[in-house]
Parts: sequence; structure tokens; C-alpha cells
Amino acid sequence: METLAYPGVQETLYREVMPNGLEVFVLPKEGFQKTYATFSTKYGSVDNRFGVEGKPLVSVPDGIAHFLEHKMFEEPTGDIFATFSNQGASANAYTSFDRTVYLFSATEQIPANLETLIDFVQHPYFTDENVNKEKGIIEQEIQMYQDNPDWRVYFGLFDAMYHAHPIHIDIAGTVESIYQIDKETLYKCYETFYHPTNMILFVVGGVDAKEVFELVRRNQERKSFPPQGRIIRSFDPEPATVKEPKKQLNLPVSLPKCMFGLKETKVGFTGEELQKREVVTRIMLDIVFGASSQLYQSLYDEGLISDSFSHEYNASPEYSFSVIGGETKDPDTLISRVREAVDKLLAVGINNEAFERSRRKKIGGYLRMLNSPEAIAGEFTRYRFRGGDLFALLPLYEQVTLQEVNDRLREHFDWNQLAVSIVAAEEQTS
Amino acid sequence: MSSNTFERGRVNRIRLHVLPTTRFKTFAITLYAGIPLEEDQVTSTALLPFVFRRGTNHTPETIALRERLDDLYGAGFGFDVFKRGNNQFIQFRMDVINDAFVQSKESLLASSLRYLGEVVTEPLLENGHFATKYVQAERDTLRKRLEAIINDKIRYAAERCTEVMCEGDPYRLHALGNRADLPNITPESLYERYHQWINEAVFDLYIAGDTSLAEVEKLVAESFKLPDGDIGTFAPTDVRANARDLKTVVEKMDIKQGKLNLGLRTGISYGDEQYPALLVYNGVLGAYPHSKLFINVREKASLAYYASSRIDGHKGIMTIQSGIEIDKYERALAIIREQIADIQAGKISELEINQTKAMLVNHVREMQDSAYELIAYDFNALFSGSTRTGEELIAQIQAVTVDDIVRVAGGVQLDTVYFLRDRKEA
Repeated sequence: METLAYPGVQETLYREVMPNGLEVFVLPKEGFQKTYATFSTKYGSVDNRFGVEGKPLVSVPDGIAHFLEHKMFEEPTGDIFATFSNQGASANAYTSFDRTVYLFSATEQIPANLETLIDFVQHPYFTDENVNKEKGIIEQEIQMYQDNPDWRVYFGLFDAMYHAHPIHIDIAGTVESIYQIDKETLYKCYETFYHPTNMILFVVGGVDAKEVFELVRRNQERKSFPPQGRIIRSFDPEPATVKEPKKQLNLPVSLPKCMFGLKETKVGFTGEELQKREVVTRIMLDIVFGASSQLYQSLYDEGLISDSFSHEYNASPEYSFSVIGGETKDPDTLISRVREAVDKLLAVGINNEAFERSRRKKIGGYLRMLNSPEAIAGEFTRYRFRGGDLFALLPLYEQVTLQEVNDRLREHFDWNQLAVSIVAAEEQTS
Repeated sequence: MSSNTFERGRVNRIRLHVLPTTRFKTFAITLYAGIPLEEDQVTSTALLPFVFRRGTNHTPETIALRERLDDLYGAGFGFDVFKRGNNQFIQFRMDVINDAFVQSKESLLASSLRYLGEVVTEPLLENGHFATKYVQAERDTLRKRLEAIINDKIRYAAERCTEVMCEGDPYRLHALGNRADLPNITPESLYERYHQWINEAVFDLYIAGDTSLAEVEKLVAESFKLPDGDIGTFAPTDVRANARDLKTVVEKMDIKQGKLNLGLRTGISYGDEQYPALLVYNGVLGAYPHSKLFINVREKASLAYYASSRIDGHKGIMTIQSGIEIDKYERALAIIREQIADIQAGKISELEINQTKAMLVNHVREMQDSAYELIAYDFNALFSGSTRTGEELIAQIQAVTVDDIVRVAGGVQLDTVYFLRDRKEA
């Protein structure tokens, strides 16, 4: 058992790697009733062509990681939700671009619930019948998102930016692609990505670290996994340009929704370097677009944005881009106002007062986030899979310099890399 | 759970509820302001917090006001307007980190309470009314917010179902009011409403964090310039069903997935003795993945991705919502009604009851880890005149029997079926 102390945030984390390669983290929270656990695999919707070292690559239908997540909940004895319910736990799961996370939260029977979580995720049970039955349910899930304008405009932007990288494909796939999924392909994906060496168990709450490690160790000793080589994920080369500078679609909405962002060409960062880039970029974007910025207020006064206006930065080793926007009466004017303001700022640079204020705000936001076991588990795993460390963020925020933020501003805003996604009602586009 | 006792106090018209604890990295602050829900005032009241956040007499400009939050290590500040029974509430929330983690010149709790007090009791005035430019801009923001309800079809269908169900009752009103009222609201008329609101609304201020009642009393007395007077009273809510025939409404829109919503009356409210049995009833029917709706509509028939029920304990209403393939309307409705009838006929397994109770008990226990949930639970009890503690609620849930559930089911009455579908001919 390894002890990792983070005095700056008053947290102590414990880590142990099981003999089969499974990495386990425990964060005890004194005085907490609840225990929250996530069991995650580094496997998401983008992993649609892969293999293991020494074996040929396979291509699988879009949406299969998410389909697999749905199917994991079924065991020969029935639905695993029922088992969690019996033990007073709320269980759930989600699939993102690069990971699949299974979770529960409970205030009692923690050992039983932990065993249930580990056992069901390590026991696939797919039949032709149960795979086919799921298609109708997932088809309805896809349709639900098709009707959701916020979802469409957001993921529409990813599609406008990326030609080849599968981040441009919906996480759930399409109605057509999910009907191509069968149990053989599900097993293939399962065996590759649900190997202990590709997974992390994170437990946070009112627990004792030693007891958790002991339970997991005994649980894993009862199972055997064939050794597996390194997983290879294969992506077609992504051109530097955006795929579509402006992508538009029609849905019934009260006002057009417009999200835009810049696709970065310099990628390949991992670990702390990637984390540092995220920190610097987030401060930079907050200074430019945050609710207390001059630009935000002038756009609001002009009626070009509403409270829905937001900004974020997504970065992985393979892609990175900003996402900015919200609802607007006039997408074109909004974009041109933003460009004018950013160009002006590029000429004079960000000042120290704005920088220090934003840094403070980000530090406060980070500390507030650490109140939430759900956020800690989710964010910790996300960083860990990319070689970073959630608990190392405080010193990173403290070390950022104004110079770095200004350099980032100049590097990020290359207007050739701008893509725009718009969802509007038919009458708003004619 | 004995450590979760709020200390009570009062400063002018504000009731104070303080939970001293070192469990969190933050101070959690919630201010509830409730006033009877009335058709001719609902929109003006809803507009107030939008205008408050723009400027105060001390800090008139919005950017400067927001920078004050940034300087408090990015203190969270937000508001919400909602209905609880026949009352309209404005809720303000602040979330600021405990000074122990940072080097701050002055107490972050003191600065946060000064901010909240200023925003609510010293909004920017010009010539004895609200600032014209802020009222105009926020009227526009509120209009957009009301118009945007249609964008989220799940929420839109839920709102429409309640509207149809509560015809002729104040509860049909949207918490944010009516678009049609907005053009008539002026800086002067809004200030008149404010004057009334600040004198009549019931104010409850909650704080959880590393502080004491004495400290909070002192800070609130300094920062909240509220008039003296009575605490005020909430509007009573009648939860009994008014007998009427089942009402079915179908609406059309350009959508791919149909939204089927049902409105039912339970006749039971939060403070009632039968409320724990209603919680179990709702759990068996549709609150969880083990519930009858999820199992039968989704897992067995593959008709939907979501199918669930929820209760509004302050209005005695239960709603069922589900997203379905449009031509499966009849089948989905039949399956849903069958589940309701099954519970009425006592077709409830021991397993369903035990699973539901375990989930409910877990939920009550988990509340203890969230400052805002502890606050919300205490306020619900206060609002309902109930003294049920978390421990008592757990014991009452454990004691619920099949007969209790069947008795609750006997009083449940389907009132409204609302279906949102595509524009194709049926």
C-alpha cells in the first residue's frame, strides 16, 4: 500500500496495484456516511479500431463501447440493478469518448456492494437474445438525443472540426450502426479492454483503505485473466484543417444555438505537460469569455448572448480544442464581435490584474469541487488515464505565469482553425 | 445524525438556521424567500433576482459586482425560482471555500454574507426605482428563458402536463411567470413589487460550515438591511383531488421521439403520516431501475430508454414520464396503466418492497454528506410544519407494509394523459 499525501488540499490517497495489474485507489473521507466507488476502463467511443500487440487490428461498429456498457448490467441471474437495490446502493454507468465508468454509491453493506461492482464488470454475459433486445432501448436513447438541441449543437461542433478522428462520431453510434452489433464483437471488445491492466478502481468516502485493498486482493485472487500485451489503438491521420468551417442543422428551438471553437494542431502532450496546458488554457479562456469579462458583458448588453453562454477546453493526447457559445439571436454577428475583441486583446495582451483574479477563481472552483466524492472519482480517473494527477492541480495553478497565459492566447486563436456549429429553427435560417 | 442539528436564531425578518460543522471545505449558504403564488404577481416576482444580480447601490456595475465574487476565490452565486405547493420561492445559493485553505485578508464568510445581503436588500436604485437599463435587459433575459422551455422536449412535456392537470389552480403557473406580463413591467412597477415582497415574503437563511450561530447573527445584522416586521406566512396548499374525468391532450411538434406524460393525484403531502408509504409506493412503481415501470416498459417491452415516476410531496401530485416510439403510444400507455392497477390490486412482491426501502434509506443517509441536501431537508420539514427527522423518516419507511402501500394506491387517481408527438398523421 502506497500513501500519497496532499497537505495543500488536506487529503491522503492510498494506492495499490494488484498482482494481475488492476490499479486501486482509496480516498478515505472522515465523517462521511457515503461511499462512492467507480470501476473504470480506459475504453470509450473513439476506440473503434484496435488490437493487442502481435495480433491483427479489428474494426468495430460505432457505438459499441456504449452498447457494451448497457449489456454489462445483465447477468444470468437477472439484472444487476436489482442486486444493488437489495444492498441499498444506487448504481449507474456512463461512456465517454475515452472511458467507460461503472459506479455505485451506498451508506451500508460496502463490502458486498464493492464485490458486486467488481464481479459484474468482470463477468460478461451476452446472448443473441439479450443483445437484440437492447437495440430497441438504445435506439430510443439515440432518438432522445437527436431531439435535444443542446446535445446536437455541442457534438455538431466536434463533427465540424474533425475529418478522421472518431471523436466526431456520436458516443452512442447511430441507429444503423448499433443494429450491426452482435455478441461475438461485444466479447472481442470486452476481452481487450476490460483486462485488469486497463482498468482503475477508485473508492472514496467513509472507508478504511487497508480493508478495501484486502477485499479487492482476495476477490482478484479468485479469478484468472490470461496475460495480455499492450493495447494498440489505431486512428487515421487527422488533417490540420477543420472539416467544415460552418455546420448548420434545423430543429424547433426558440433561438438559434451557436457553438464555436478552435481546433488545435499541436497535439501529442501527455501527463503533467497536458495537465499544465489545460490549466493555462482554462485560465486564458476564463479571462476572455468569463461572466466578469468585458467581452461577456458587452455581448450580453447587445442581446447577443444569454446566461447559457459558456466556454470549455477539451484536451487529450490526440486532440484539443475550445468550445464556446450558447443561444444567440444572430450567430454571424456573435462570431464577428468575438473575433474583433479577441484580435484587440491579442494586440495588447492580458493584464496582470485579470490574470490574478481568474487564477484565484479557478483555485476556489477546484477546492469546491473536492467536496464532491462523485467529482473526485470521475476527474481523478480521467486524469490518471492520461497520465496526470487530479491532486497535483493546486501547485499547477499556483505556478502559472502571466507570460504563459499570454503565449497560450496567441497560440490558440488562429482563426484558420475556427469551426462553427449552429442549430436553428427552419424560419430562423431562411 | 445528532451532529446534524441546526441552531436557530432570528435577525429582523430573517429566520436563521446554522449548522456548525468542519466536514466540508466550504461554507454553504442558502436563502429561501417564499411568497404566495399569484397570477398577477408571479412574473414580477420572478424578475426580481435577475435584476438583483446586475448591480447594488455599493457596486452599481455588473462587471465589478461579478469581480467581487471572483476575488472571493470564485465564490459560487446562483439563484433559482420554483414552486413549492402554492408558493413561489426565490432561492439564492452561495458556496465559498473555508478560509483555512487560502490566505485571505478578511473572512470569506463575512464577505459572502455582505454580498448576498447587498444583492437582496440594497439593489441598485435610481430616482427611487430600479435601474432602467437593468430592468430592460433582464426582462429580455427572462423572456428568452420562458421561450426556451420548448427546446428541451422532456421538460416541455412535463410542464405542459402540469399545466393541463392544474387548470384553474395557481399551481398551473410557471414559476418564472408569463411572457405576456413582461412588456407591462416597468422599473417603477417592479420596485413596487419589490417593496411588497421584502415586507411580506418569508425569509429563511441557512448556513452550513465552520461557524457559529453567534457569528452568523452578527454578520447578518450588519449585512441584511431588511425592514422590521412579522416573519410572514406561507400560503396553504390543498392536496385533495378534485374529482374530474380523465383528460387526454395530444400535441404535435417536429420531433423524432414521442413524450408520454401522466399526471396523477395522490391526496398525500409531505407532512402527512402516509407520506413514507407514498415514498415506498413511488419507489415500487417507478423511481428506480428495479421499479415496475423500468422493468416492464423498458426491460421487458424495449419500448423506452426512460420510464419513471416521481412525486411532488408539497402538492400531492405524482407524474410519470417516458420517451417512446410514436406509434407505440397505445401499448406504452396500457403497460403503464397496468402497473398502476397491479399495485392497487396488491401485486407487490416482498423483494420489490425491500429493494425500494433499501434505496430510500440509503438516500436519506447520503443526504448527510451534502451541506445543501441537509439544508433542503430541514427546510422541507420547516415548510411543511413537520418535525420528522432523518432518523424518524428511516424508521417510518422501514415500517411500511403491503397494506399501507395498497391504501396509498387506492387514493391515487389518474387525472391527465399528455402526449407530445410528431406532425405525421396518426
